[in-house]
Amino acid sequence: MNAKIKHWLEEGTIDIFLGYKMVDGHPLPHCFTKERIDELNDLVISQTRYSLEKIATHVSVVKPDIKIGMLARDCNQRALNVLFIWNQLNPDNIETVNINCCPSNLKEHGDCSYLEPETGGIYKKQVGVDNNLQPAQVEQNNSSQRLDRWMYEFQKCIKCYGCRNICPVCFCTECSLEHKELIGTGTLPPEVPIFHLVRAVHMAGRCIDCGLCEDACPVDIPLRLLYRKVNEIVGNVFDYQTGAGAQQSPFNILGDNVTLEPKPLKAAQTQNS
Amino acid sequence: MTVKRITFLQELLAFTGLEGRVHLAWISSAEAQKFVQVVTEFTEKIRALGPNPLAAYSEKWKAPALQAESIVKAALPPGQ
Repeated sequence: MNAKIKHWLEEGTIDIFLGYKMVDGHPLPHCFTKERIDELNDLVISQTRYSLEKIATHVSVVKPDIKIGMLARDCNQRALNVLFIWNQLNPDNIETVNINCCPSNLKEHGDCSYLEPETGGIYKKQVGVDNNLQPAQVEQNNSSQRLDRWMYEFQKCIKCYGCRNICPVCFCTECSLEHKELIGTGTLPPEVPIFHLVRAVHMAGRCIDCGLCEDACPVDIPLRLLYRKVNEIVGNVFDYQTGAGAQQSPFNILGDNVTLEPKPLKAAQTQNS
Repeated sequence: MTVKRITFLQELLAFTGLEGRVHLAWISSAEAQKFVQVVTEFTEKIRALGPNPLAAYSEKWKAPALQAESIVKAALPPGQ
């Protein structure tokens, strides 16, 4: 794999390659370039996950024509699909190197921090929450139990914006969560539950269930569960699987089922007056 | 499209425990009587759901802080 990446950099197929390098014992996101091609020997593929496509989006804003290669798991690939649909990245400028994620009998091994939900989050295990909760598992609670639980989870929020900052498909330059007239910055604690419900609604048609938001949350709010429900509703009501392919999102400004083909004007009918 | 968006909102609110509070109706400006009827019915439905559940939470969360204040006051000698 290193050989392929080196070849790409040397041939100019890509200008930069986004991967991970070990720095002081931590695999950190790193940008490999042709000038320092020997750094590729330090390329590390481990269970560490980061939204490299978010870095690619920021870089493409500054240099729209730059060609970027990156490591991509399934979740990164879904995020890239969404970013392509929303015109944040040009598919012609992106090359991906697929890496293993979820374990399967067809693969030798997997490389993702979500592989072992049983071992993750000791505090969460104690309060009965795990990283891989499915909406159906919590839907046997009734309305007031749900509200109790969610209000408890939301009021822990310290408005660090970690969920929004790490999210690979959050790219709005004017974020509603920071907009002066809407939610605004500078006041703590955030308005509960509005802050999180606004974010959830904005995740419709965008969230690709990578789980980085829940990883980033310093107070362990089960965000992935909430956005999984959002994705479920979008799938049922709009019949749209986020990140699945190149189909236009029903949430773009034109809505769904819009064809903008110009219709020919009917020839004007002359009438005898 | 509107129906889908409102359905989405209703289902999301139901998931977090705030169901039955969003209603969608198509009413023309010439259908005043229908408007009155829809609004009255929905108002009664909301009234039946009781006081705002979110307000109860802000009171509940204030409680530990109030307790702390009363503990501190009890510890100070009278007149301070």
